[in-house]
Amino acid sequence: MPLASSNTSIRVPRRIGRHALFSGLAVLLLILMYLSLAIGYRLYSPAEIWRAVTAFDGSEAHVVIRDLRLPRALMAPLVGAALGIAGVLVQTLSRNRIASPDTLGLNAGAAFAVVMASGLFGVASLPGLSLAAAAGALATSLLVFGLAAAAGGISPLRIVLVGVTFAGLFDSFVNVVLTVNETMLDQLLFWLAGSFADRKLSLALNGLPFVLVGGGIAFYLARSLDILQTDDSTARGLGVPLGVVRGLSFVAVALLSGASVAMAGPVLFVGLVVPHAARALVGLEHRLQIVAAALVGAVYTTLADIVARFVIFPREAPVGAVTAIVGGCLLLLLLRRRAA
Amino acid sequence: MDKAISVKALTIAYGAATAISAVDLDIAKGKVTVLAGPNGCGKSTLLRAIRRLHQPKSGEIRLGDMPISGLKEKELARHIGLLAQSPSAPDDMSVEELVRLGRYPHQTMLQPWSAADADAIQAAMFGTGVSHLAERRLGSLSGGQLQRVWIAMVLAQETDIICLDEPVNHLDMAHQIDCLDLVGRLNREHGRTVVLVLHDLNLAARYADRLVFMKDGSMVADGAPVELMREALIEDVFGISCRVIEDPVHNRPLCIPIRNSSPRFGAAPAA
Repeated sequence: MPLASSNTSIRVPRRIGRHALFSGLAVLLLILMYLSLAIGYRLYSPAEIWRAVTAFDGSEAHVVIRDLRLPRALMAPLVGAALGIAGVLVQTLSRNRIASPDTLGLNAGAAFAVVMASGLFGVASLPGLSLAAAAGALATSLLVFGLAAAAGGISPLRIVLVGVTFAGLFDSFVNVVLTVNETMLDQLLFWLAGSFADRKLSLALNGLPFVLVGGGIAFYLARSLDILQTDDSTARGLGVPLGVVRGLSFVAVALLSGASVAMAGPVLFVGLVVPHAARALVGLEHRLQIVAAALVGAVYTTLADIVARFVIFPREAPVGAVTAIVGGCLLLLLLRRRAA
Repeated sequence: MDKAISVKALTIAYGAATAISAVDLDIAKGKVTVLAGPNGCGKSTLLRAIRRLHQPKSGEIRLGDMPISGLKEKELARHIGLLAQSPSAPDDMSVEELVRLGRYPHQTMLQPWSAADADAIQAAMFGTGVSHLAERRLGSLSGGQLQRVWIAMVLAQETDIICLDEPVNHLDMAHQIDCLDLVGRLNREHGRTVVLVLHDLNLAARYADRLVFMKDGSMVADGAPVELMREALIEDVFGISCRVIEDPVHNRPLCIPIRNSSPRFGAAPAA
């Protein structure tokens, strides 16, 4: 029953050039992934990289490319995409633009689990620490969601409050333990700062399905997430089952953050900054926001991983520090532009 | 009378406190029904219960012949639209993005956007006079424009029944009239059943086909404005002595409040 007819048609997708934007980002990502293979302490030619992948001969160059460079060239974008999507979910879920997976205490929970695993069970291998990190992130998300939902319905404010509380608690535990135990500090610092270096390809391959399922859930919920941006009464009035949508979103956040912290340790600021960039590019519709956040996040971490190889050359900076510094500056820039 | 909604012996409680008790009410199809009463009388709770935002402690609400408790979320959202009290959305959301949200109950995973959606959005924005604002961000709108945009979102939902919870709060006089005229037009020209919660008794009397007075969680009276706008009844319900005259322009009863007959902020000491 149309109210009135009018000839001006509404452009269904807002903002032009969206396909161009997504393709552009994808091309940029591929270029960066190639650079991630090619440049670093040593430079390799395209021909050499090709041979290392297709005709591995056991030479030092081939070992570096296949065992050191390839895993991080694949892992960096995977982690970036996961954190970008997780950031969008957390910010929508909490109706709070300064929230991120960090705010929910997921990284702190992972760090706490890693410290415990190392201190109590003497876990030192990277796969062991990864497993502990994933378990810590998942347990924390269950804890935060459980407590936030305990007193009746789950409210955006309570999600943030409970999350910030656990983030603070776990961070303090970690600090206390590491202050007391300096050997452990030396052993775990490389993990606690976040890095893509020295990871095995199998770690990326193990993380992939979790990121795919988490991203899939987010995409499936896209329309409901659009409506979660309004107040609860309006959202329910439109027929959104709030509890179900919030619960599923939390599952997706747990999978995405858990997988990325297991792969790279805490990579800070990505989940906070990337959603802002995604919204600036495509607006507030989640179908687009999620794709944009995945692409921008992947570009961002891959670039940060390359930059990390050069800032204190010949040594490598922790990628978590690079993403935090660059991310902080980007955020300030975005805020300045918004205010202007 | 054709019934759009019937409420039977409805009681709703928040914990131990009873918000409304044993309310019976039929809402006529194609009419404007206004729920009025003092603060805390339960009028908003009743409206929200009709949209199933509150679970009844006892009693039942029917949509036509169907109890609403049996309907799926989206199904109910295709029948009853709700403009919540002081709704909120991000400041950087565009007008069109907000209006598009109204199509949610009509969409499925397999059929996300159809031509019907585009038509409904276009018609809703045109009908509320906000088409020219489509690309504007919500944060850049005036209060009156913003309220029109929210009404457009509810219209895009294309429901036969529209519930509005104090839609003219925070609006100045001109925008109050503007907003309620718009609601009246939706009712007259498009046959929508409208249920409104209004604070302002004179606006209620002016726009209602049927007025419902509530007090302390119970329904006190219900009927045409001319029947309900009686001085004694208003004093009983609203606790204010008044004079009722006929509004010379719209020929509706008009209440002129005189003095609070049950002072809430302490009475002046007796002489």
